[in-house]
Amino acid sequence: MSSESTNENILAHVLLPVANEDDALATARALEPYAPAQVTTLHVVEKGEGVPDKTPVEQSEKMAEESYAAIRSVFPDADDQTAYGRDIAGKIFEAADEVNASAIVYRSRGGNRLMQFLSGDISVKLVTKADRPVIALPHEEET
Amino acid sequence: MTGAPPCWRNNVSESQLDRTLGFTEAMTLGGGTMIGAGIFILPAIAAESAGPASSISFGIAGFVALLAALSLAELATGMPISGGSYHYVNRGLGSFFGSIVGWGMWTGLMFASAFYMVGFGQYIVESVPFLDGRALIVLIGLLGLGLIVGVNYYGTEESSGAQNIMIGTEFVIVLIYTGVGLFFIETANLIDFAPTGPSGIVATTGIVFVTFLGFEIIATVAGEIKEPGKLIPLTMVLSVVGVTILYMIIMIVSTGIIPYQELGGSLVPVADVAVVFAGSIGVVAIVFAAVIAAISSSNSSILAASRVLFAMGRDNLMSDWLNETHDRFHTPHRAVVATGAVTAGLIGIGLEVEAIVALLAEVASFSFLVTYALVHVALITFRRADPPEYDPDFEIPEILYPIVPVLGVLASAFVITQMAQIVQFVGVGIIGLGGVWYLVYARTNAVEEGLLRDALPGRDPTYTVLVPIVNPKTQQGLLELAAANASANAGNGSAEIIALNVLQVADDTQQNVEVDRLDHQRELLEASRSIAEKIDVSLQTRAVLGQDVSKTILEVLESEEADHALLGWRGSFGQGEYAFGPNLDALLTDAPVDVTLAKFREQPINDVVALIGDGPNASTAVRRAAEFATLSGENTRPTLINVQLVNGEKSRGSTDPSNTSVERGEEVIEGVARQAGLNPTEYDTSVLVGETVESAVTSATNQRDLICLGLSDRSDLLRDRSGSIAEQIHDQTLCNVAIAKSGRRNSEDNHNPGE
Repeated sequence: MSSESTNENILAHVLLPVANEDDALATARALEPYAPAQVTTLHVVEKGEGVPDKTPVEQSEKMAEESYAAIRSVFPDADDQTAYGRDIAGKIFEAADEVNASAIVYRSRGGNRLMQFLSGDISVKLVTKADRPVIALPHEEET
Repeated sequence: MTGAPPCWRNNVSESQLDRTLGFTEAMTLGGGTMIGAGIFILPAIAAESAGPASSISFGIAGFVALLAALSLAELATGMPISGGSYHYVNRGLGSFFGSIVGWGMWTGLMFASAFYMVGFGQYIVESVPFLDGRALIVLIGLLGLGLIVGVNYYGTEESSGAQNIMIGTEFVIVLIYTGVGLFFIETANLIDFAPTGPSGIVATTGIVFVTFLGFEIIATVAGEIKEPGKLIPLTMVLSVVGVTILYMIIMIVSTGIIPYQELGGSLVPVADVAVVFAGSIGVVAIVFAAVIAAISSSNSSILAASRVLFAMGRDNLMSDWLNETHDRFHTPHRAVVATGAVTAGLIGIGLEVEAIVALLAEVASFSFLVTYALVHVALITFRRADPPEYDPDFEIPEILYPIVPVLGVLASAFVITQMAQIVQFVGVGIIGLGGVWYLVYARTNAVEEGLLRDALPGRDPTYTVLVPIVNPKTQQGLLELAAANASANAGNGSAEIIALNVLQVADDTQQNVEVDRLDHQRELLEASRSIAEKIDVSLQTRAVLGQDVSKTILEVLESEEADHALLGWRGSFGQGEYAFGPNLDALLTDAPVDVTLAKFREQPINDVVALIGDGPNASTAVRRAAEFATLSGENTRPTLINVQLVNGEKSRGSTDPSNTSVERGEEVIEGVARQAGLNPTEYDTSVLVGETVESAVTSATNQRDLICLGLSDRSDLLRDRSGSIAEQIHDQTLCNVAIAKSGRRNSEDNHNPGE
């Protein structure tokens, strides 16, 4: 890993929000060439306050663990963090604050307008409301 | 999944974050589902089959439910994770019964959901002018179901506020109906109180039991409830008792206002009663409440169904394919669609069968009565087998204990025998389906054995420790450890220590062993008897001849039904292909019970530590440490140590690595201790932050007397062990070392949903 990493370096400590195992692996591979100094993976478990979720929480947590493992297959020293909440972008910002990340790195998951609308376009919130650099990774065509 | 840490770590550290259901939410969920559609549909069916006395049917059903709620609450606080009754039965009674209950609950929830939605259709069709006909009822029921499936597929989160207001409004309408209705009762209607007699009352119980599925929903989301130890039993018992009383009054009110013969023919009984004393406003209010009730109850059922399916998937009883989550919406969309599709089919039967509502209700009741009967059995099994990880916060009080589950089983069975034949036929079919599922699908996978064998009275309840003795110098130490271990595990039963010496002979047929070797064996065992007398434990001795020492020990382990083998070990790691030596390796690999290897140096044991790594046997090592710590006094606590490595490069970027490392270490310790069944008051913790495990441990353990380690992994035995942590610790510390391995790998894995 990069030896000249300092706090001014935008890749000094990146926060990597991921949705699931496949997403995590694709994100990690896309980030790998840029050799970030420190990586913290974040998975936000979508969770309403005071109502049981459509997805069993343990299932979401299992998904989180699978994502962390996928990231660690590329960045063995990556830390991980799980947040719970409905406002995913908000939780990403909170976590970035908490770990004092130098940047939030993500990879847009594409999809058509309807899908983006239905799943709440997090990309837009990330780039418009962040209080620190946000890096969008290139979206390579997967085969 | 490669290298994912076990999920308990997560559950421990974030337990407060992933639990968002408080008292009100749990009550809304449980009580709301119970009041649900039952209140709006059941009065007609109940009145028809038992008259005003159907009030008593509700009372009986409520009592049966209360018994189940008590047993379920204890199990749920012992294992507060997703899956409800299914999980407890699967853990307690094994996968065969687990399959039956899993399928039974799933189908039961689908029948209940179809029942709610047919009621939904009835209320809309009957109360809107110009709408008529069974086809329309079915159609509207399907539309309502479509809405619920859509919501669960897409995964939108209702806000708890809106939900509480809706259920609250529904509840207030029901209360007003009941309260005001009391003044309009015409006692003449109640004179013919029990037209069908006692058998009619009991038969009706079977139909109306469907009402009480709501408390099960509380158990299926047990993993999300705050303060589970307190709120689960409280909300379950409170909602069952409250709803029972409410239903009993409602039956009296309904049959008191409209004669039961007339009420029985109605599709919208509560609206028909309300119109008598509240006019059209009453009808509108009731229809509004009925619609909310049907939607929310059905929603809860579909939610519970996907949790049951997920839990079955976790235990390899259901295909993972079904439980996969949607790429975008993160919902278990396939499970939701499968549940919805079958439910739709059940609603569709309404086109052909007129009495569909009663049938759906009764089959759902059947499934859950069977489930609860097995839950009671599971409770007894857990109490008797008393696995270390089972430590419920709520326990059925001493005076009620054997009564509640025993009565629960009998009552469930009795109600089932009184059900309609067609229902018994369908119900047995569903159970059969679960059984066939087990034989065809589940059995081929790794499945849960259950604790039944441990709980059966015929099976030696004595905790037996087998201590193979070779070296006269170490036998006192071994027997002391065995005594501590035996008395800690005796529980309510008794404990027994067996000292064994195997005399190796060349050939079975030629048993002419030299006399002095026999003498040596006798002396050894005699010495162990006198040690046992001194430290006051009951000891049996076995002198055995065998060709192969490890095979002989394994045979004795089996014939004595031993629970633990405690062996001395020279303390050297074997050369070449063996890790600990040929005999010890064979035992560690093949023994079906816990195995502990102890290396003694010469100190009395006062201060015990356990080193917690991430290996599969960490919790066993902790358990041993807690047992061995009692050697120096009843309340001596072991110290649990976890090492957090500091990676030089990594620490540069973060602000304060040592603090987070310590926190993380404590989480790991807490998680493992919990798995081992220890309360936080029963141990001390120590997190060491160091560059390597060896450097950190060596300094910390030198003042200690005994260090317990978990055997890292079965496969490690086969690897070259040079440089292993255990070996280095052993070489560099001067204290006694015990290496522990669990014999029950399956059950431990089952507690890590992440595995």
